[in-house]
Amino acid sequence: MMPRRPPTLSSVWRHFFRREAEERDFAEEIEAHVELLAEERVAAGMSEAEARRAARIEVGGAEQVREAVRDVRPGRRLEQLVQDLRYAARGLRRSPTFTAAAILTLALGIGANGAIFSVLDAVLLRPLPYDDPSRLVAVWTEFRSSGQPRVPASGHEMAEIGRRSRSLAAVAGIWVGGGAVTGAGEPEQVRVGNVTANFLSVLGTHAQEGRIFRAGEEGASAPALVVISDGLWRRRFGADPALVGRSLRLDGRLHTVVGVLPRGFEMIYARDASVPAEIDVWRPFRDDVARRPRDLGFLRMIGRLRPGASVAAASSELDAIAASLRREFREYATPGLALSIEPLRRDAVREARPILLALFGAVGMVTLIACANVANLLLARATRREREIALRAALGATRGRIARQLLTESLLLALLGGAASLAVAAGALRALLALRPAGLARIQSAGLSFPVIAFTFAVTAAVGLLSGLAPVSAALGRALASRFQARGSAAASSRAQRTLVLAEVALGFLLVTGAGLLVRTFVGLLHADPGFRSAGVLTFQVGLSGSAYPDDASTKRLFRRLLERVEAIPGVDSAGAVSHLPLDDYPNWYDYYWREGAPESERNAQMADHRAILPGYFRSAGIALLAGRDVSLNDDSDRPNVIVVDESLARRTWPGRSALGKRLEVVFIHEGSFDPTVAEVVGVVRHVRDRSLAEDGRGQVYVPYLQSAREKLAFTVRTSAPKGEGGNPEALARPVREAVASLDRDLAVAKLRTLDSYVAAARQSTRFTAAVAAALAGVALLLAFVGIYGVVACSVAARTGEIGVRMALGGSPARILWLVVGQTLKTTAAGLAAGLAAALALTGLIARMLYGIGPRDPATLAVSAAVLAAAGLLASLLPARRAMRVYPTDALRHDA
Amino acid sequence: MADAESRSDLLAGTLDLLILKALAAEPLHGLGVSRRIAQVTRGEFDVKAGSLFPALQKLEQEGWLSSEWGRSETNRRAKYYSLTKAGRRHLAGKTRRWNRIAAAIRLALQAT
Repeated sequence: MMPRRPPTLSSVWRHFFRREAEERDFAEEIEAHVELLAEERVAAGMSEAEARRAARIEVGGAEQVREAVRDVRPGRRLEQLVQDLRYAARGLRRSPTFTAAAILTLALGIGANGAIFSVLDAVLLRPLPYDDPSRLVAVWTEFRSSGQPRVPASGHEMAEIGRRSRSLAAVAGIWVGGGAVTGAGEPEQVRVGNVTANFLSVLGTHAQEGRIFRAGEEGASAPALVVISDGLWRRRFGADPALVGRSLRLDGRLHTVVGVLPRGFEMIYARDASVPAEIDVWRPFRDDVARRPRDLGFLRMIGRLRPGASVAAASSELDAIAASLRREFREYATPGLALSIEPLRRDAVREARPILLALFGAVGMVTLIACANVANLLLARATRREREIALRAALGATRGRIARQLLTESLLLALLGGAASLAVAAGALRALLALRPAGLARIQSAGLSFPVIAFTFAVTAAVGLLSGLAPVSAALGRALASRFQARGSAAASSRAQRTLVLAEVALGFLLVTGAGLLVRTFVGLLHADPGFRSAGVLTFQVGLSGSAYPDDASTKRLFRRLLERVEAIPGVDSAGAVSHLPLDDYPNWYDYYWREGAPESERNAQMADHRAILPGYFRSAGIALLAGRDVSLNDDSDRPNVIVVDESLARRTWPGRSALGKRLEVVFIHEGSFDPTVAEVVGVVRHVRDRSLAEDGRGQVYVPYLQSAREKLAFTVRTSAPKGEGGNPEALARPVREAVASLDRDLAVAKLRTLDSYVAAARQSTRFTAAVAAALAGVALLLAFVGIYGVVACSVAARTGEIGVRMALGGSPARILWLVVGQTLKTTAAGLAAGLAAALALTGLIARMLYGIGPRDPATLAVSAAVLAAAGLLASLLPARRAMRVYPTDALRHDA
Repeated sequence: MADAESRSDLLAGTLDLLILKALAAEPLHGLGVSRRIAQVTRGEFDVKAGSLFPALQKLEQEGWLSSEWGRSETNRRAKYYSLTKAGRRHLAGKTRRWNRIAAAIRLALQAT
């Protein structure tokens, strides 16, 4: 075309909005031109009528001339776009089924993506809601000698790191325990974050009322201060703004409330660290933690990098610090202390990230399948519009123009689908949140935020272009080559359709296999034996502290009496207590153990989970006693120290022999001090899956509470029930509360829940993953089914005439059927093969999320193949069967 | 189709020049421009409406022509185009350039 200056904004404006006037003007000019031409001819001797006709012919199609002029006008592109859009909209309105099918497919495919992405955005992508979050790090201790990767640190360690590190501007630590808030209202057991005074400021949060702790506000001489959460402030103090400066009774002592944390504040930390997201009360340590024993690790650390320091630099610095600590202190040399550092935003989501990324990959595949379906629909439609496109081309439309028009149509479709997808995304997100996946902090804030909408928009545009390309290239190739053939060869488009079907089947297979593996993992967990029987057991926790229970003797006395009261409740089969309930999020207590008199090499090598118990725990929790006896009320501080061990510890320490009567050196707690103590094994019990349903974990040592007391116990109460059923434990809730209150009005009963609820919670994250994966696989299967159905139906429609001829000539139905569906079946089989190859290559990526099943489990692969094959078969045969019922004469008359 | 395209490509580049030249002497309507060009080139270039009007439109947009409705000699309504001052300058420049190119091509074609 002629080179031209780019149109100015004003000229575009002018021509766009004054188009009508300009059109009229030009029409007049053309008419005048025709008149003048006719005049010439008349002068040359023609008649008026003839002259005018001749003039018109010479001028040519007025429309064409107008088009040529219009092409030159600025704002032409914009005009064309508007025209294309109007035309596309009209076309879509005229084929409602197609439009509905395409929009629905797109809404599903893009909407699901939007929902998962919004979760991803909330949990993984958004920066942490603290000041300058990119400089926050998590610092972990590692015990190389016994292979323990993420171990809490001792106070001394933390102090040394703070002192020696140049890259870290500050280090802080937290240990979350329980506490009782008494005073105005019911006594309430709360989560207490015991922190260093700088913890909240290192984290980078601010109080909404009052202030957070200042440096130096910890230790024995510091005043008793607390900061409380917004939740506690609202439910216990009615959001009273005058609370700041008043006191609160925690564990029997008065503490001054200096501040309230903002609403929605969450402690975002790694899930395996026993640091929950919601902490009710924050309290600085009451002693100098650096002076606590160096082998007592309890702190979960965070740090802040100095400006300009990198994680890598801090990491090598920490390596050096760990090496010098190992050199200088025996307590660090023995376990082979090492330090590791990770940005907090990565460390906090280390469990969630692989799950979310896997789900994102899965939903991406669903979007691709939806894309393929829409492309197929567009291809089928383009086949029907062959003639129209060929006509256009003959009338002078350039390839570019036709391509632009077809692309505009698929973009409009994508836009409509994208808008609908926002509704689907919102609904899907609500469903996701209803599954209440545990351990995904910040997921509640997932919503259709700006990045999510922008992402959806981008996906929509990509889908529109992708799906639009196939029919465009097919249509152009066909239309411009074979102009007016009655039935286009359709070779190019059917090849494209076959490729799309193959891709859909392969992706569908991948998704169904992945979902199958995850569902079987969940089912596996449902049947996993945790080592205890949770049905029909109520649990509750009581913490004793403060002035009413100042020493071991007082706590032992109270808990003995409480156990008696609870056992006496009608409907109770048995009751007991343990310091750490299985599958609870209370910080674990684990320590070294070795055989009495073991050589140095055997000491500090093996670790076991330590539990303090009251008699009756094993029976009420349904933990089988394999040998010997339970601890009894006679095993108190005057008597020899005894312990019960679990079978795995027994097997490891004394393989092939009975553990009864053997002596171990384990840790007992005496007045808060952790003392290595020699004790005799009096019983062996089943191993309990204490931390996770999927893994065995360490061996367990049970020490008698009356010989090793702690401030908090969790009681297990088993209901007596008709044989075969586990009674209703909830019915015991009130009697239990009354029993506690009868001993001490100020005691708070916390976490009154069934043991079953802990087991269910442990399966929560797997349940979430399996449910979402299954839903995605279901959607994929549905889309693939619809896609294949559509392709076959299209092919049948295109070949109705041919079918009619064959039937008229006496062809057998079976052969005709094969003719129609054979290709699709072969493509489906090829798709299965491709999917199988992809599955073998890719399922290894989710291997770590599986339990009890390998990523290449043959049974799952076989079932997926069968499901996809069945779907493909059904989707092919259904439309084909309808074709068989066509009368030959009708088919021949039908102008395909 | 291919033949017509290449011809019109060639024509498009020079058509502007011919139109501007045709209007250098006096304002003309569309048909008049077409006839003047045919006359001056001794029938070599017969510019049809399909090429003429887009070119006139473009030249007017660029500001080298201005137009207004008037009456022909036979008292028929017609749109008359005339050169603007900028148009005249553009014509002069383009003429110089064209003559240079034509001379160069002539030389090239004469060489053996």
